[in-house]
Amino acid sequence: MTSNPTIAPIDSASEFHKIQSRPASIEVKDITVSFKTPKGIFTAIKNIDLTIKKGEIVALIGHSGCGKSTLMGTISGMTAPTSGQVIANGAVVKGPGPDRGIVFQNYSLLPWLTVYKNIYEAVDSVFKGKTAAEKREIVEENLKMVTLWPHKDKLPGQLSGGMKQRVAIARAFAINPSILLLDEPFGALDALTKGSMHIELLKLWNLDNRNKTIVMVTHDIEEAIFLSDRVVVMNNGPEATIKEIVEIPLPRPRNKKEIVHDPIYMETHDKLMSLLFDKFSIEDE
Amino acid sequence: MKKLLNFQTYLPVLFGLGSAVLLLGAWWTVSLLTNNEIPNPVSTWAVFSEMLATPFYDYGPNDKGIGNQLFSSLIRVFSGFGAGSLLAIPLGLLIGSSKTAFRLINPIVQILRPVSPLAWFPLGLLAFKAAEGATVFIIFVTSLWPTLINTAFGVASIPQDHKNVAKAFGFSRWKYIIKVIIPYALPHIITGLRLSIGVAWMVIVAGEMLSGGVGIGFFVWDSWNALSLEKILSAILIIGTVGLLLDKGFDWLQKRFAFS
Repeated sequence: MTSNPTIAPIDSASEFHKIQSRPASIEVKDITVSFKTPKGIFTAIKNIDLTIKKGEIVALIGHSGCGKSTLMGTISGMTAPTSGQVIANGAVVKGPGPDRGIVFQNYSLLPWLTVYKNIYEAVDSVFKGKTAAEKREIVEENLKMVTLWPHKDKLPGQLSGGMKQRVAIARAFAINPSILLLDEPFGALDALTKGSMHIELLKLWNLDNRNKTIVMVTHDIEEAIFLSDRVVVMNNGPEATIKEIVEIPLPRPRNKKEIVHDPIYMETHDKLMSLLFDKFSIEDE
Repeated sequence: MKKLLNFQTYLPVLFGLGSAVLLLGAWWTVSLLTNNEIPNPVSTWAVFSEMLATPFYDYGPNDKGIGNQLFSSLIRVFSGFGAGSLLAIPLGLLIGSSKTAFRLINPIVQILRPVSPLAWFPLGLLAFKAAEGATVFIIFVTSLWPTLINTAFGVASIPQDHKNVAKAFGFSRWKYIIKVIIPYALPHIITGLRLSIGVAWMVIVAGEMLSGGVGIGFFVWDSWNALSLEKILSAILIIGTVGLLLDKGFDWLQKRFAFS
């Protein structure tokens, strides 16, 4: 922690632009990803360039199958790019690493391990040098952060969807990554749970002095606006590219209830809608 | 309502009695048709209860109680099954997790699997210079295949999600085996063990007929030589019951280690 220069939190719209003077956290350079399929070569994303600054929250948005998860995969290192490279924290991404914590779409908890053990095993593999007591302390701290300490001995099968996702988030935070990658993290949750998870995520981000870079894949416009500093809108695949990057100059902290009446919110919402839906009415062909 | 509940509770008991009546009826019919050459349930019961009254008597190498016979067979089965499982589980883990190992070893498994375990008996004799070793050896061979195949299948079917967790959080190979592969494959492994012990229990009877000595299989053969069909029928009932208990034991284990 001490090696990182502390960055002042950004609380007003005018300060938003200071993000751009921060060092780059993730640099996606001319990335193309192709897959071999029985029908031939399928190119999911093509020639994508994107720079994300330290402490920035960026949402990748687009229709199903537009390659947003593929782009995310190249940042996490789970997907190898066909050409181009991703630089995370100054190093070329060659595979998954502990500097990038991943929260998967379907939680991906190991069903035979308790909540506690699910986090402990991740902490244990990442912090090899720490003592067992130190590792236990990290697990406890992170489970308490997502208020799941009383449920530490339960198996994932005994938890609700929202609780499982909190375990997954606690696990990603527990390895203390500088970059947090969320792949449609709240897609399977009901609207109420989703709302409180957004607030919880921002709370955790605040607790860490907004130093963590967060990239999330979503297809929920409201979610993207509420959470992000920038929204990357992608074209439909195959050979998907970035259609436009929309800045969200809403000041933080943002209030879920009030924000929807903000003219900037409404304007941004309309803009994203028209970027995502070229036609607003269904026409007979 | 209460009457209905009572009826529902007694239903399994009624069905159980029904099966017993059906079995005894069929048995008795066969016995009548063969002019009592196949002994009827009553005369069998007389011999059976006598056998059970003194199960552990020992009047020398060729005359031992049914308990002794059963115990010897069970020891052989569990030695062979234990050794077989110790080889089959790790090999199954390897075949299931490596495509190269699968392509190398699977053809061998496919060729050897359909071979009757008794065909291995002479090789066992050659290797161990004794019938005892040879019998355990055929049980060993028998126990290999179901466990091997089920373990490999279990490992090969690990969902991508679980693999992703290991990849994303940089699990070591050892942690991946202990915390992901084995727990996921465990229900499949136990299914394999359950099938293996079932086949092993069937094969031991035939194996002991070849090997002689003390054991439930040899007891059946010896009773045939002594022309005591009551003893053979009693032994069949005992073999069936023990087989059922072994199966129930592994069924319990399976339920115990099921997750989700």
